[in-house]
Amino acid sequence: MKGKVISAMLCASMLATMLAGCSTTTTEEAGESTTGTEAAASSSSTAELKGEGDKEINILIYAQEHEKVVYQQLIDEFTQAHKDEIKTVNFEVTTQDEYATKMTAAMTANDMPDIFYIGPESVRSYVDNGYALALDDYVDQEAVDNLWPAIKSAYMYDGTNIGSGSLYCLPKDLSCFAFAYNKDLFDEAGLEYPDPENPYTYDEFLEVCKALTKDTDGDGEIDQWGVANANAFGFTPYVYGNGGHFLNEDYTKVVIAENDAFKEAFQFYTDLTLTNQVTPSVEQDTALGGYQRWLDGQIGFYACGTWDVAAFMDDATFPYEWDLCGWPVGPSGDGKSTAWLGTVGFAVSADTEYPELCAELIQALSTDLEGQQALCGETTGKSLQIPNIMDYAQTTFKEKVADGTIPYANNVDVIFGYIEGNDTYNGIFTETTYTYNSEWWDIFLEGMPNVLTGNISVEDYCNEVQPKMQEALDNAIELQNSATN
Amino acid sequence: MSKTTKKTKTKMSAMAKKEERWAWLFIAAPFVGFLLFMAYPICFAVFASMSKWTGINSLIGNFCGLDNYIALFQDEKFWKSLMTTIIYLIGIPIGMILGLLLAMGMNRKIPGVRVLRTMYYVPVVSSLVAISILWAWVYNYDYGLFNSIIKALTGMHGPNWLGDTFWVKVAMIIFMTWKGLGTSIILYLAGLQNIPRNYYEAALMDGANGWQKFKNITLPLVSPVTFYILITSLIGGFQVFVEVSVMVSNGGTDYSAATVVYYLYDKAFSNGQLGYGCAIAVLLAIIVFIITAFNFKFQDKWVKTMD
Repeated sequence: MKGKVISAMLCASMLATMLAGCSTTTTEEAGESTTGTEAAASSSSTAELKGEGDKEINILIYAQEHEKVVYQQLIDEFTQAHKDEIKTVNFEVTTQDEYATKMTAAMTANDMPDIFYIGPESVRSYVDNGYALALDDYVDQEAVDNLWPAIKSAYMYDGTNIGSGSLYCLPKDLSCFAFAYNKDLFDEAGLEYPDPENPYTYDEFLEVCKALTKDTDGDGEIDQWGVANANAFGFTPYVYGNGGHFLNEDYTKVVIAENDAFKEAFQFYTDLTLTNQVTPSVEQDTALGGYQRWLDGQIGFYACGTWDVAAFMDDATFPYEWDLCGWPVGPSGDGKSTAWLGTVGFAVSADTEYPELCAELIQALSTDLEGQQALCGETTGKSLQIPNIMDYAQTTFKEKVADGTIPYANNVDVIFGYIEGNDTYNGIFTETTYTYNSEWWDIFLEGMPNVLTGNISVEDYCNEVQPKMQEALDNAIELQNSATN
Repeated sequence: MSKTTKKTKTKMSAMAKKEERWAWLFIAAPFVGFLLFMAYPICFAVFASMSKWTGINSLIGNFCGLDNYIALFQDEKFWKSLMTTIIYLIGIPIGMILGLLLAMGMNRKIPGVRVLRTMYYVPVVSSLVAISILWAWVYNYDYGLFNSIIKALTGMHGPNWLGDTFWVKVAMIIFMTWKGLGTSIILYLAGLQNIPRNYYEAALMDGANGWQKFKNITLPLVSPVTFYILITSLIGGFQVFVEVSVMVSNGGTDYSAATVVYYLYDKAFSNGQLGYGCAIAVLLAIIVFIITAFNFKFQDKWVKTMD
């Protein structure tokens, strides 16, 4: 009998485990995304909004839970405002991992959603193959003119080049990866805060990191570090800030082995971990990622995406004082601190029966003031992105940040510097934005831990990996130019 | 009389026809299902494997013959992931030996045997994602169970289980063995309980010791179960994906943890090379088919039945 009871209890625990498995963990490394939206929603879901008309609109996007709530509200309001026309709006939100699979299935079945996401890297493929509608005749030109130039040009295509021609998307956002520092750790170490007007040089940055790296509990092991690096998103600012690049100017050749600025930045980045030990080791990083360590107050500097701000401003998540600063500037660059920008855009299917209505709806999500007020935190108190509307971002948004209505870091101008560009800051899209896929970049990342552990030198690694990256890039170029429908 | 016979015959014939229609309908259901969900996708995948199809571009317009297969044979990452998949298969014999030993232990009347059986079966019915996350923590470099034990026993830090190119394979083999143990135990238990007791009694009368009984009675008579476990484990072993995807990021350092199916997914969905992904799938199917056929061909040499 006793055995049966224990068996029953074990069965119950099995069931609980199974059910637990059905839910997806949402502990995301903030920076593992390449844009602000890439931290995926916890599960796929569809909301159906009803009107009294006869038009049915299908939307498929990926989003974080809190973004989904805002978008759903905006779509509800749009449906209400157009209830005479609209019968239903099927709003499907999926995870980013599943998004590509679902879109492929939709394209194969010739059953495209009316509204969907396209990243800048996919604009050519979608347009060449007739999946995306040119929006020029359907969107308000004044609103388009008020978008950040970088995100507008990313979605323009003239049949040959990106950056000119018709507009194919309205941006969901323009994100950037700035640098953040923990003020409390600076205070404890008696260090001056970084000057947002003068980002550190490599040497200055190293000195500060050394001062921040310490054994706080006296057990003989380092438990606080100057910075936590994250290869997937925290390496490129060092490279770009030193004038280095992965690819040549027309994105057809991998140049890391012959680009001295690249190798210099890579060496500096490696030495932070390997010789100077001002970051957690590769092994320690596998045990607990930099993002978790940052949230735990173990890290002086860490990358901060525009989508991270709300979390960092929340005392329950990050109970430390913090602010924004620039990424360090390398000796071989143009002296500007450089971060990468990211974006994804709302597109309308070329086959939609209701182009005007769909275009109007994506304007509500992208350029409508009310929507942007919610997404940037003016009406919600949680800033998920910098407003897409330039006028609003540069005036009201900044004022609301200054007066505390929008909880934000004091040095918000750092982010504006990266987005707008000035004498101190520069923002550029990562080079994967210009290639059909990012396989060449993944190949580089795969062996990077071997460099950081000292198993292979920077020079040897660059020489060894470059041909493999080039092969993947050639393949991507071939696919980009492959025959269209 | 003849009129009545004729009428009955006609009536029977109508019933037979009706039955026949139903029969066809019943046959049609799985047949249509097979055509729609098996034959068509397989033919589609074979055709797509001969195209530079990306999912966005034209499938037919990018027909490339055997180019994908030629590229695949020269693809270092494909061979690397295939080799890793084969290395993971080391867990199959280990799991089978452990499964048989544990099943023999549980085949005795010992207290708590039901609890033990249930415990060993827990991983089989648990969500693979959930137990993969659990084991990722077990393998954690600083805070994991394994390294805590190693440190407590030796005072030294354990290996970077999921970050090192060698240890990640060991880690995955241990995990897969643990995960599959429940199934092996249950199947072996059923096999053991089917062996008539009088075989052992006769052996005892002949003076056989425990090892001789195991070698000459138990092992041969559970060989059909061993064969079944081997076939299903091999097929499953070539399809490993979820655990790699959950426990290791981006296929691991140097792609050291990636399996063939992981590489397939990576190519097809992460990098938009659906045609190439289909070529990997087709080649994998051929490899699995050959191995399975080989096993069936040589089963007569070692699989014994009680007949």
